[in-house]
Amino acid sequence: MPSVAVLLSVGRHPASGRARRAPLDARALEMAFSLPNAAVHAIHAGNPDEPALRDYLGMGMERLTVLSIPRDGDPVPALTAHLEQLSPDMVLCGSRAEGGEDSGMVPYLIAHALGYAMVADIAAVSASAATATLTQALPRGRRRLIETGLPVVATVNTAAPAPRQSSFGRARRGVIDILAADAPPDTLADQCEIRPWRPRPKRMRLAAAASAADRLKAMTETRSGEGAVMIQPSPEEAARAIYAYLVEKRIIGDGS
Amino acid sequence: MTGKRRDPRAERQARLIAGGERKRFALGAVPQPAGRPRRDPRSLRRAATVPGGVRPRIDWHGGARMAARPGPDARPQSQPEIRITADPAFLVLAVADHPGGALSEHDRETIGAARSLADAGGGAVAVLTSGTVEGLAEAGADRVLSVPAGHIGDYDPEARTAAVLAAIDLLKPRHVLFPESAEGGADLARRVAALSGERLFGGVASLSADAASRRMRGGAMEMAAAPPRLMSIAENAFAAHDGVRHEARALDAPAFAPVRRIGTVTPLAIEAGTLSLADADFILSGGNGVTDWAAFAELGRVLGATLGGSRVVCDEGHLPRDRQVGASGSLVTARCYLAFGIAGAPQHLQGITEVRHVVAINTDLHAEMIKRADLAIIADAQAVMPALVAHAKERRDA
Ligand SMILES: Cc1cc2nc3c(=O)[nH]c(=O)nc-3n(C[C@H](O)[C@H](O)[C@H](O)COP(=O)(O)OP(=O)(O)OC[C@H]3O[C@@H](n4cnc5c(N)ncnc54)[C@H](O)[C@@H]3O)c2cc1C
Repeated sequence: MPSVAVLLSVGRHPASGRARRAPLDARALEMAFSLPNAAVHAIHAGNPDEPALRDYLGMGMERLTVLSIPRDGDPVPALTAHLEQLSPDMVLCGSRAEGGEDSGMVPYLIAHALGYAMVADIAAVSASAATATLTQALPRGRRRLIETGLPVVATVNTAAPAPRQSSFGRARRGVIDILAADAPPDTLADQCEIRPWRPRPKRMRLAAAASAADRLKAMTETRSGEGAVMIQPSPEEAARAIYAYLVEKRIIGDGS
Repeated sequence: MTGKRRDPRAERQARLIAGGERKRFALGAVPQPAGRPRRDPRSLRRAATVPGGVRPRIDWHGGARMAARPGPDARPQSQPEIRITADPAFLVLAVADHPGGALSEHDRETIGAARSLADAGGGAVAVLTSGTVEGLAEAGADRVLSVPAGHIGDYDPEARTAAVLAAIDLLKPRHVLFPESAEGGADLARRVAALSGERLFGGVASLSADAASRRMRGGAMEMAAAPPRLMSIAENAFAAHDGVRHEARALDAPAFAPVRRIGTVTPLAIEAGTLSLADADFILSGGNGVTDWAAFAELGRVLGATLGGSRVVCDEGHLPRDRQVGASGSLVTARCYLAFGIAGAPQHLQGITEVRHVVAINTDLHAEMIKRADLAIIADAQAVMPALVAHAKERRDA
């Protein structure tokens, strides 16, 4: 029976700015539920009175542990100390928070402090007694199967299954266990200027053409292809030509 | 008594300012010579006028000068210019992802960002790669550290981390830049930051010699500070280096010893059928010219392509709405687009502007899709699809 710790943060709705469950962390929790007979420990470091935490309880947990730290505290030491005691087989969390600095460093710092293996961007997981098999999601739908010993820290990607709805009754009934914890204040924010994000114009890849007329043409005209044309070939001829072209451009591997 | 007669002309002439192509008179108070040189709109305009042509044509973007230059064929084919920074004031290390052994666009942008930092203070750009990678000189690298092929596996973030840390130890760079990419750059940057105990400034969206900024709080805010040592560069935020080749002198890569905790890694086959169109690499697309949808689906399975279609077929319900390619559907970035029976309406072609290779099968020689295609076949889609299925199966069994 693997024990899985899930690190949960409080998200921020992109339009309204209201606190909500962080979508990636909710996926991590969903992934932990998908492991057969795993003991799931949900942990949050922050303000225990935050109402958005109840959204996680509504996904079907009885308890949620909150390490109570001040608002501008660094959560990593508190989480590391707690996880060291708990010594889970697996630590899951979203790959990026969305309410604070959003650096994505927390899992890496924890993995480094505890000496766990670290795998990023997973979409699926299965675990046996001593090893975990993680499916890592890459761009363009590529996937990689990673076998690693336990314990492991893994971050969950948007390619993972969507989280279940939060049910109101369960959210009300769930219990939040509050543990006091130390957190050194994070000083980076004081050294930085923080201001609202101003959208910047998108950078366009301008064609390096000789004249303005040529540049306008390059921007607006539909590109025409190389233009190899076969007129009324037999279907077999056409099939051979298409297949050869796909193999030549390395779109498909040649079977033989 | 008659006073001396005034000569307004002579007075005016006395106030003529010498030089300049137009006559200018300093009437009233004589302007103090300002620190800035006076702007001369006329000469600017003359410089921007494209030579030749019947009507005057003005190009404010420097195109006139380019047009005036002899064309590439006329230029003497001597050695291309190479910029050499022999004794840099400091180094900026850029770590390239180079998926599949070639620099990605994001890698070039990262090296471009490193270039801007280095050029601002007389520094040089060093690029860390694994195995030999082409095109580093054009991308703007002054030094290249390439770890011999074989020391770092295909997916081996722990060894890459150790290599980066060893390179930092060796070069003592002022800044280290990573691409903030899902190909591994974002992961690597965080591993290096965790191991070296330094703060990472992740996803930098704007950068100059004295300020770097990145988004935070779910993208609502932005934090800015003097550029720290470790930074990862957001995609599409910087221009790649474009211009003079740099030296790309090879340095000896340092030795390193990774701590390995991750076990075996196996790449999985792509499940093309379940991919979203925006993610797909190879798309088989059908239009109004396709009637045999069973053969179409079979062809997609055999070739391992993601299915897409024009708006007409989605309207008719042959394919679900999320399979529509075009202006009101998905803009696709696939490498190859295989189009059966699509006319190539502008709204459809807008969806495939980024596609590299287009193959079109259509009965109409004058269809727009045929013009866009790299390989065009004038034939009946219903005949070609089963033939292609049979041919692919035959080749695979052979
Ligand atoms: C506001 C707006 C937005 C739109 N957005 C989109 C969009 O996002 N995506 C999109 O696709 N369309 C879009 N459209 C529709 C678009 O204008 C075209 O109507 C549509 O793309 C045409 O689809 P088609 O090429 O499949 O069909 P058709 O125009 O009917 O073309 C069928 C083609 O198949 C060929 N053909 C016929 N029989 C055969 C055969 N047996 N074998 C081979 N070839 C054959 C014909 O020669 C013809 O070239 C939009 C239109 C509007 C007004």
